[in-house]
Amino acid sequence: MAESSWLDQNGKMTYAEIQEKLERADLTGLIPVNISILRNIMVEPIVPYLRYFAMKSGLNCHIKFGEYDNIFQESLGVSSDLINKELDSVLVFLKLETLSWNLARNFTGLSKELINNEIEIIKKNTKKVLAGIRQKTNAIVLWSTFEIPIYPSLGIWDSQAKDGQLATVRELNEILCEIFRNTPGVYALDINLCIARVGGKNFYDHRFWHIGRAPYTREALSEVGREIIKYIRPLKGKNKKCLVLDCDNTLWGGIIGEDGIAGIKLGRTHPGSAFYEFQQEIVNYYNRGIIIALCSKNNEDDVWEVFNDHPDMVLKRKHIAVARINWGDKVTNLKQIAHELNIGLDSIVFVDDSDFEINLVREKLPEVHTIHLQKNETVKYREKLAAFGLFDTLEISTEDKKRGEMYKVEVTREKLKEDTADLKSYLSTLETEVEISFADEFSIPRIAQQIQKTNQFNLTTRRYNRVDIEKFVGDKVSDVICLRLLDRFGDYGIVGTCILKYIESQAVFDIFLLSCRIIGHGVEGVFLAEALKLAKIRGCKTAVGEYYATKKNSQVEYFYKQYNFKELVVENNSKGNRKFLFKLNDKIPEPKNYFKSIVSVLK
Amino acid sequence: MKERVYKVISQVFNVPIEKINEESSSDNIEAWDSLKHMNVVLALEEEFNVQFGEEQILEMLNVGLIIEILKEIV
Repeated sequence: MAESSWLDQNGKMTYAEIQEKLERADLTGLIPVNISILRNIMVEPIVPYLRYFAMKSGLNCHIKFGEYDNIFQESLGVSSDLINKELDSVLVFLKLETLSWNLARNFTGLSKELINNEIEIIKKNTKKVLAGIRQKTNAIVLWSTFEIPIYPSLGIWDSQAKDGQLATVRELNEILCEIFRNTPGVYALDINLCIARVGGKNFYDHRFWHIGRAPYTREALSEVGREIIKYIRPLKGKNKKCLVLDCDNTLWGGIIGEDGIAGIKLGRTHPGSAFYEFQQEIVNYYNRGIIIALCSKNNEDDVWEVFNDHPDMVLKRKHIAVARINWGDKVTNLKQIAHELNIGLDSIVFVDDSDFEINLVREKLPEVHTIHLQKNETVKYREKLAAFGLFDTLEISTEDKKRGEMYKVEVTREKLKEDTADLKSYLSTLETEVEISFADEFSIPRIAQQIQKTNQFNLTTRRYNRVDIEKFVGDKVSDVICLRLLDRFGDYGIVGTCILKYIESQAVFDIFLLSCRIIGHGVEGVFLAEALKLAKIRGCKTAVGEYYATKKNSQVEYFYKQYNFKELVVENNSKGNRKFLFKLNDKIPEPKNYFKSIVSVLK
Repeated sequence: MKERVYKVISQVFNVPIEKINEESSSDNIEAWDSLKHMNVVLALEEEFNVQFGEEQILEMLNVGLIIEILKEIV
């Protein structure tokens, strides 16, 4: 499904137009997402927005609503159609007005004691509801925070009062966030950010609040819907990973080949300041672990001259993982960038000011998300980029923060590969160190992220969240192991995950995956051999490896076969799935050893 | 005005425009519940670039009444 730049366009679409687009769209083939909404207000008009933004991200949203103000019964009662194991996400909208009229509207009439009492009740009930939800499902929970009143009870005094209404609502939100931080898979949906973006005056429709307890305008619900999809996207592995930038009229104003280094617009004052701020935002993405690449029609030397010598370049050469600066077409260049970085085209966001380039890429590479920067709106570039959300992930780990750097190193490695003719001697020069261990509290967040994001070297593409993994780690019928890699260029962190499930005397590879960054290091054989040894230690007689075909993982179709597994017949198999068996009495295949060290702590 | 109102009603409830008349209401259009009523109101506001008061919203019990209210404010 082609993605267009809905971030630019949707604001101008009417409700009816969005509904019509949804009706006409072919949603088959999109990844289904099941969402249930618990609430004490009416938010039904959010449905078209949620479904529309989901569709634009390749997802098909199915939404159910709990009854109005029935959240306790629904979360604490028996499992139901509303909250169950099939769910991907539970949304919670509890408006303070309905939850605690006193705090929301009768604040000036409350004693300190009464305020604290109300806070305690909300705290206790939040925990109860969350525990109830968790008993029924491992789905992620997105919980809308309490709205900061636009006109607080104590007027201007409230802004600094220690126990004013503003301070109280902020404290409540901090209490919520504290609970969420300590409950895996639960996230604060910051409604106050949405209010700030839309504007308080545009956020509420008081008529429908009074007539039907429907407080929010469509504009508000559109923004809230957009915010929700930012969480759903990474949950389903649909977040973007790489930002590919044009140079002329994107990173600076003007054309370097014509205007020269002194003539381009870039600096601390207008008009160059718009580009300066835009570049700063790009560096912020780099620091979050987003890969930055260049794709520009230019003489390469001209561009690097700007990078090296222009005093106001915020973006530096070290931030750029890969650059394609030539006079070739951008479609070919983008394909090469994806190949060189070992990422899918659908992980790429391409930014350009040229109609021609944007339309060409939209047509030829519909999986690439394109952002068209308008030349007469350079002052909006920064916010446009900041507003993305396309790169957002559910956690930002230390590995993420290093990733931009790691990809840069990867390209250096590639270069070395070109210099070193035969693969084996190349691999030995990397001085790779491998560590294989059981998942623990430190590695689980990263493992969860890997399971949610990895598409290519992923045998089963099952998506588990943190709660699921903690369960596997805790139980006696499965093992979660991970692989960490270092080489002379740097520390990759955790790059491989394997989940073994033991069914009687058989070990099943429920998950076996490696980050695409390290494909080619030859570690897959080591990882598999160590996992097989572990299965043997656990008393298993056989091991079964399955391959579930997806659009992206064909490279691992015969992975198990390469390591002496025997293929089994899969019945009623139209999807191209495969199944392989290994007898653990057979000799476990010794992987080729070109590593500096292999440390395994499995036993 | 009548045609534009009929068009909005037909779109919101997904019923053919020929089936709509001044008597059309929640009694004879099945999909016309309180939530869809909100959709009708907002769609009319979009179409005619007006803002209804909450009393007017509650008075819009059938298509005829909608047209009368619109005549007052457009």
